[in-house]
Amino acid sequence: MITVCNLRKTFGDVTAIENISLTAENGRVTGLLGPNGAGKSTTLRVIYGLVKPDSGSAEIDGTDITTSPQAAQQKMGVLPDQLGLYPRLTGREHVQYFGRLHGLSEDALGARTDDLIRMLSMETIADRRTEGFSHGERMKVCLARALVHDPGNILLDEPTNGLDVMTTRTVRELIGQLRDQGVNVLFSSHLMHEVSRLCDHIVIISGGKVVAEGSTEQISDAAGEDNLEDAFVKLVEGVLN
Amino acid sequence: MSPVRAVFIKELLDSLRDKKAVMSAMLFPIFGPAVIYFMMTAMISIRSEVQETAVPIQNMDNAPHLIRWLTERGVTFERFDGDARDAVEAKDKDFVLIIPDAYQKRFAESRTAYVEVVHDSSRADAQAATQRIASLIRGYNGEIAALRLITRGVSPDVMRAVEAREIEIASKQQIAARALTFIPMYIVLAAFVSGMGVAVDSTAGERERSTLEALLINPVDRSVFVTGKWLAAAGFASVGVILTMLLCVIVLQHIPLEELGLKFQVTPMQVIAMVLATFPLAFLATSMQLLLGSFAKSFKDAQSYIGFLVFLPMAPAIFTVFNPIATQTWMFAIPCLGQHLLLTDVMGGKPVPAVGYVLSAISTMIVAAGLVQVTARFFKRESIIFS
Repeated sequence: MITVCNLRKTFGDVTAIENISLTAENGRVTGLLGPNGAGKSTTLRVIYGLVKPDSGSAEIDGTDITTSPQAAQQKMGVLPDQLGLYPRLTGREHVQYFGRLHGLSEDALGARTDDLIRMLSMETIADRRTEGFSHGERMKVCLARALVHDPGNILLDEPTNGLDVMTTRTVRELIGQLRDQGVNVLFSSHLMHEVSRLCDHIVIISGGKVVAEGSTEQISDAAGEDNLEDAFVKLVEGVLN
Repeated sequence: MSPVRAVFIKELLDSLRDKKAVMSAMLFPIFGPAVIYFMMTAMISIRSEVQETAVPIQNMDNAPHLIRWLTERGVTFERFDGDARDAVEAKDKDFVLIIPDAYQKRFAESRTAYVEVVHDSSRADAQAATQRIASLIRGYNGEIAALRLITRGVSPDVMRAVEAREIEIASKQQIAARALTFIPMYIVLAAFVSGMGVAVDSTAGERERSTLEALLINPVDRSVFVTGKWLAAAGFASVGVILTMLLCVIVLQHIPLEELGLKFQVTPMQVIAMVLATFPLAFLATSMQLLLGSFAKSFKDAQSYIGFLVFLPMAPAIFTVFNPIATQTWMFAIPCLGQHLLLTDVMGGKPVPAVGYVLSAISTMIVAAGLVQVTARFFKRESIIFS
């Protein structure tokens, strides 16, 4: 479970996030929806500990990210905005590297790596160097790498961006599986259909603030629109005006 | 597996697969000794050629006594008819010795008799041969002059009011070491070159490829990443240093240095001493490169900063040229200078006190560890990822 309270972060004169509070619960898919530049990535970066907030707090299963970053990071798997693969390492080596950094024993790591490779159907690419991988193949390696230590919380920054239909399906199925296992999935996106399809709980951010929260229906009702997209546009424009 | 080891192994594997980095790390150790070998053997063959080549001479019959005297000293002659200037200018001859017709008459009258050496001082390759004949003729002059004084009842010592007598105390091996001063500098330089690719690729390279964000989310202290990267780069640099040194030693043993009147001998113990003296530098050099690489946003950026580091190992060589004072213990404590002194002494066959090794190793490692700490602090900033 992730609890975020009154986060604020500025970069120089620019206020990236003004005031963000949200809760992402276990066994649920929480979607962070917002236009480009709304503060989605910054919010996630604060949660996974690469950006220090000016004020406010973020807790992962009760552990504060600013006071004990490593204990908190141990509890989450992250697919960051920048995938960041090493072109000269194979898919399997990427997974193993991150597993070792999480302190997994060699035996457990071997078994877990094999499981993940099967789960993401990447048997044919696992032992090839990632140089020249397609975007979908790269995404799979990154997902496997994020899941290697079997975390209770998964953070995905725009996971289906630019993916083909086949890989998008794999990612969707994976998210569903993880939710069913009781994992907390928090992901950001600006793709309406993706969010309305996958999420149990939606948090709409605009201009660094939360403008609406709830299920698809709750948000549509609150905005007085029939569908999420119209509701989204109305809410976001409301903030910008 | 400890996280430091995980980082170390990953960086090592990544670098070993980088053909360009491996090539540039290994080319340097091979290139230097090869150049030394070809330069020295060429130098030696020029010297021995000088002694074998016949001296081109014009009007040889004008100075039979001089010719006999020179012949007794191993000089051979070939008669030369034609224009001496043209021949030297066309590089057919290194020089031409001409005995003018007036020689014999002036010589018989005990007046200064001239011989002419036609040469071109801008030709470096002809210098040795020209100097040799000039010095032989000076010797002949000294001998004849002394005899003439004696026949007049004057001691030849009258001609030598004061004379400086040189007493050489350097061993032949030390002279060889001086002739080969650039070798310690080259070995020190190897520490700076061989690990550079790894140090830059694992810092500026990570920033350029945007791999740092994913890496730094892992629950490991940032200093662990820096330490692992440092050890991997230092490993590469150490291999480079040791390879350079071994190749230099092998090459020196295969150059016929005796023909230059030099002697170069190393025992296995000395090789070990040299390795011990230099490998801490591998850690220092890579710690500097890691720090500079972290400031740079791209590989190219980093290389332009790090290029300046190459001057660092040259500084001690320059220092010792301009401050030719005796080695003092404190000098060993200065990184780069200490290693330079140790290598020069070991190669020169001088005994080096153990305190020299200990001081230079400790001071070098302290500075290196300090720089790694600074880099780790820099890694803790947000700007390392998001700028």
